[in-house]
Amino acid sequence: MKFIVFLLQFIFIYGFFFLGQLLRELFGIPLPGSIIGFTLMFAALALKLFPLRLVESTATLLLSFLPLFFIPATVGVINYFDVFAGKGFFLIAVVIISTLLTMAASGSTSQYLGRRIETGKEQK
Amino acid sequence: MMNDLFLALFFIGFTFTAYFFMNLLYIRFHFSFLMPALTATFIIVLFLLITGTPYETYMIGGHWIDSLMGPAVVALAIPLYKQRKLLLDNLVPVLSGILVGVVIGMASGIALAKLFGFSRTLILSLLPKSITTPVAMEVTEQLGGIPSLAAVFVMIAGFSGIIIGPVFLKMLRIETPIGVGMGFGAAAHGIGTAKALEYGAQETSVSSVAMSLSAVFGSFLAPVFVWIFCL
Repeated sequence: MKFIVFLLQFIFIYGFFFLGQLLRELFGIPLPGSIIGFTLMFAALALKLFPLRLVESTATLLLSFLPLFFIPATVGVINYFDVFAGKGFFLIAVVIISTLLTMAASGSTSQYLGRRIETGKEQK
Repeated sequence: MMNDLFLALFFIGFTFTAYFFMNLLYIRFHFSFLMPALTATFIIVLFLLITGTPYETYMIGGHWIDSLMGPAVVALAIPLYKQRKLLLDNLVPVLSGILVGVVIGMASGIALAKLFGFSRTLILSLLPKSITTPVAMEVTEQLGGIPSLAAVFVMIAGFSGIIIGPVFLKMLRIETPIGVGMGFGAAAHGIGTAKALEYGAQETSVSSVAMSLSAVFGSFLAPVFVWIFCL
């Protein structure tokens, strides 16, 4: 019984992914099909087209295995080891520096605006 | 035909088993470098190298697991929906932080990589480094980069974010839950969100919202950056 519920919910979630892929192909949208599906799912929930519990348990289960799903694609790095040889080492430095810049920029923006709104509320 | 079925079952089983045991190890010691996405990948790569098995042979089984990535990304909408109150209450700081993070992350990534004279393919592969892996790989593939390399850059971004991040954030005096959560989620995606757990519930929620929405903003903006920088 539990398995049937899981299967039905999975097919339902997969339907959103499929619809995302389909819309991408049909209209040539330059977005990943999964992100279109994600947006549609969020919109459907926000518009209360169906209750959260219809998808919740299977979504939680799927997400708990998320790291597993991208292992096969990551293993593909086996064909590109030469990229990191020699000068390629600097690629790692580029990624690290850019990641820290991202962290500083996003973190300080949110903190600054968050505080400004807080003090604004207190003054009212 | 029979042989392909055997290979498929073997590699699916092997990947599951490696993930299962590495996950147990991670749960036991909870050390970042033991994250199963890293250790299980390492074990499989090692196995393929030792046995001289080509990646294409591994993928006869691997692509079945791979095909669950898309629906799992769709499922990310559920935790985001559950956080909608937090998102609505902090709409301006959260959306601004994510937008600034995506813009700075992508612009600096392209600029630095160009400075070092790296090829277009490599730049397109590192462009979505701060986006969660499954989405980053799709973004890279659409732009003409190499998805497997994108996955590696995403991992490097994640680990540098959680190793240097705590000291770095303190140095910059980023200390409010919304600032810390945003920093980890927008720069270091899922790995950062796992780190945010050590700070508190609010940091974790902000981080997971930042992670999901960075993926959305990032996939919209990546083609725009490619166009601006004339890649």
